[in-house]
Amino acid sequence: MPVPCRGGCGNNAVLKRPKTGDALCKDCFFWAFETEIHYTITKAELFNKGDSVAIGASGGKDSTVLAYVLKTLNQRFNYGLNLMLLSIDEGITGYRDDSLETVKQNRDDYEMPLKILSYKDLYGWTMDEIVAQIGRKNNCTFCGVFRRQALDRGAAMLGVKCIATGHNADDIAETVLMNVLRGDIARLKRCTAVATGSEGSIPRVKPLKYTYEKEIVMYAHYKKLVYFSTECVFAPNAYRGHARALLKDLEKIRPACIMDIIYSGETMSVKEQVSLPMQRICSRCKFVSSQEVCKACVLLEGLNKGLPKLGIGKSSKAKRMLEEYHAKQAQNETVLEDVVHYLNDTSISDDKGNKNCRSKKDSNKENTSNGETCSKNNCCGGGCRSKTNVDVATSNKKLDMLLEQYGLDDNSDEKNATKENGVTDTASDHSEDETPFNGQEEDDTCSAACGGISIGF
Amino acid sequence: MKCKKCDSPKTVILRKKDYYCDDCFMVSTNHKFRACIGKNKVLSPHENVLIGLSGGLGSTVLLDLVHHGISLENTKKLRIKPFFIHLFDDNYKGLAESIIAQCQKYNFDVYVVHLAAYMSPNCQLPEPNCIPDVEENETRAFHDMLNSMPPSAATDFLLKIKRSLLVQYAKLLKCNVVFTAQTTNTLAINFLSNLAVGRGSQLQNDIGFCDARDEYVKIIKPIKDISIEELKYYVDIRQLAPVYVSDIKNGSMQSVISAFVSDLQENFQATISTVCKTADKIGEPNNEYVAHERCNICESDLQTKDLKLSALEATNLSRTVSFGNTELKQNLEKNADFLNNFDDFNSSMFPLINKYLCYSCSRNYSEMNQSKLPLHIRNKIND
Repeated sequence: MPVPCRGGCGNNAVLKRPKTGDALCKDCFFWAFETEIHYTITKAELFNKGDSVAIGASGGKDSTVLAYVLKTLNQRFNYGLNLMLLSIDEGITGYRDDSLETVKQNRDDYEMPLKILSYKDLYGWTMDEIVAQIGRKNNCTFCGVFRRQALDRGAAMLGVKCIATGHNADDIAETVLMNVLRGDIARLKRCTAVATGSEGSIPRVKPLKYTYEKEIVMYAHYKKLVYFSTECVFAPNAYRGHARALLKDLEKIRPACIMDIIYSGETMSVKEQVSLPMQRICSRCKFVSSQEVCKACVLLEGLNKGLPKLGIGKSSKAKRMLEEYHAKQAQNETVLEDVVHYLNDTSISDDKGNKNCRSKKDSNKENTSNGETCSKNNCCGGGCRSKTNVDVATSNKKLDMLLEQYGLDDNSDEKNATKENGVTDTASDHSEDETPFNGQEEDDTCSAACGGISIGF
Repeated sequence: MKCKKCDSPKTVILRKKDYYCDDCFMVSTNHKFRACIGKNKVLSPHENVLIGLSGGLGSTVLLDLVHHGISLENTKKLRIKPFFIHLFDDNYKGLAESIIAQCQKYNFDVYVVHLAAYMSPNCQLPEPNCIPDVEENETRAFHDMLNSMPPSAATDFLLKIKRSLLVQYAKLLKCNVVFTAQTTNTLAINFLSNLAVGRGSQLQNDIGFCDARDEYVKIIKPIKDISIEELKYYVDIRQLAPVYVSDIKNGSMQSVISAFVSDLQENFQATISTVCKTADKIGEPNNEYVAHERCNICESDLQTKDLKLSALEATNLSRTVSFGNTELKQNLEKNADFLNNFDDFNSSMFPLINKYLCYSCSRNYSEMNQSKLPLHIRNKIND
């Protein structure tokens, strides 16, 4: 039976909004969806007239919808914004290379300039190479930390006033839960803010903060927007997955809980006695940091010194690792000195010469072993790359599931079809439910590194 | 393997790695209880304290700890005058009987009160140590009320009912302090549940050591630092007999959270303690009673942080625009900033909010059959 649209326009509804439970037709949904984002933008004063704004674009549904809606609202309500797209190429084969093609499509469709920055250019490492070093665990830490800074660098190059990211309501609720589970009080405090940033950094704004992921998918679907929907090939091991799974389960019971969790995060206060890290400027790269040296520099240093775990886990571990590293360096230096000494000194006794010879051998051995690990890593990188394949089918299944759950088809044949084989459909739905719903976001998708680290090199 | 403290053989293993013997374990658990009370300085000597007993693990151990504390005859004697209360529901009559038996073993009197007492405006003190007869009308009205809500709202509301009854009976018995037996595990679950229903600003009272929402009665959680793992050992060693009951309804968000926390704890042993440590950092600097307008159901302060835009406004706007207001549409076309000063929101998502009810109680209220609320509450919220 067709459900009439709540908007009172006389049309039949095509979907039920998860946030309020109201059934709407396509046109009323478009208007409601866009008006809500407009409300967030004007009420929270996210932009000023004449600003240049960079949209963090991954090619995924959130950033595609964000770019489309910002362009639409900019025209409709005369924001006077100069919009551009900013993409980060992490160098993930089978994921980012494909999604960047979508971003290029967006650039042409929405007539916005596009800037792409790559990890390879900025840091000298692609994510594929980093994963080859660090393995499948903790790699999201690198990606998240580097992307955060890469966006800052890109925004500085473009000379924009702020960066708009596609974080949606689900992402924010998920982050609240994750920060509680990880005990990260500083992030818990700031993760629900609609605009973040302090002196010296370019502010980030989240116009989709109160927009449900489900509605974004529906909007993109009904507007026939082109987006890329594959989960990052490295993401499945991230700790964030736990928070995401919990949120999906809660949402099934009470869809409004996503707003409730955001409200909880917004209204909670942190005791004054609790000391929080201060935001300052990294002494090495001059970008924003909560420590003397920023996380990106620590991670990069670890990679370059062949200690990829340096920035992962407790700072005490990192300090120990660095000490060991320096000790080893020092040892190598003494060996070198000995060699130099040996070469310079003409009057050496036999056993002294033997001793020096041995240490020379040692140093040689070290070199070869280094060479070995290097080549091994290359191998692994190649292996990883060949293994990463793309599963586009799942994303379509996901859309079907959403349409079935929230879509109210007025007269289409599809509905009859699903009714006829309803049994098999619900079964496949169920199995789909169990796999966590994996969208992509612009940044901070993955658990950012835990714990503060302050190390000087 | 030896005990960490002395060299006796180990009998207790905590967190899969810490070994204790029975004696050292009992000393440390007792210390956790006394330290928790001691460092928070809520009790004055010879204070009347109402102790809420549910019959579960925490409550059984709390009863034993209190008994042990007040039977000491040295400087460490626990100087309180305890009163005991059990809130029961018809489905668990057997539980009430076993709690009476439990208390009599220690020579304590216990008041048994039916949860349906919430439906009447004035509660009376029943005879101690017996299960009162409750009028069927009242119990039916009570169950009708809870059954008219979805499971998540009902589970949340039941906690508020229990809290309200504990405060009322504490006043009747002239107790300024109430003990409840929530453990770290329960608190971790309640923390996440509170977040999920939008009670983020109430965390300090619900999860922290002291609930100071009532002007006269403080509710404190003296065994909040003891985990279920420890309680199980305690019960075994002392050969106590707890009865396991849960207030969490099947199919509720709280039941999902409870299962989630237990699972994660298996793989990450630090989960529960991390969550509880986070809870300790949340709240106002001093948790004192302030005479503000309060929620008529949970007694929470209705004055919340001053936010320009929050999830509340966003939800209200969603409901408003979903009703396809043509006038709004036209106004918006004329003036892009029209919504910024717009306050004629559709209030059906959050009835009575900020005037009589807090965000979460308002959400519960919108999901229930409102005529089922007790008359004395309906009178208060209907002007």
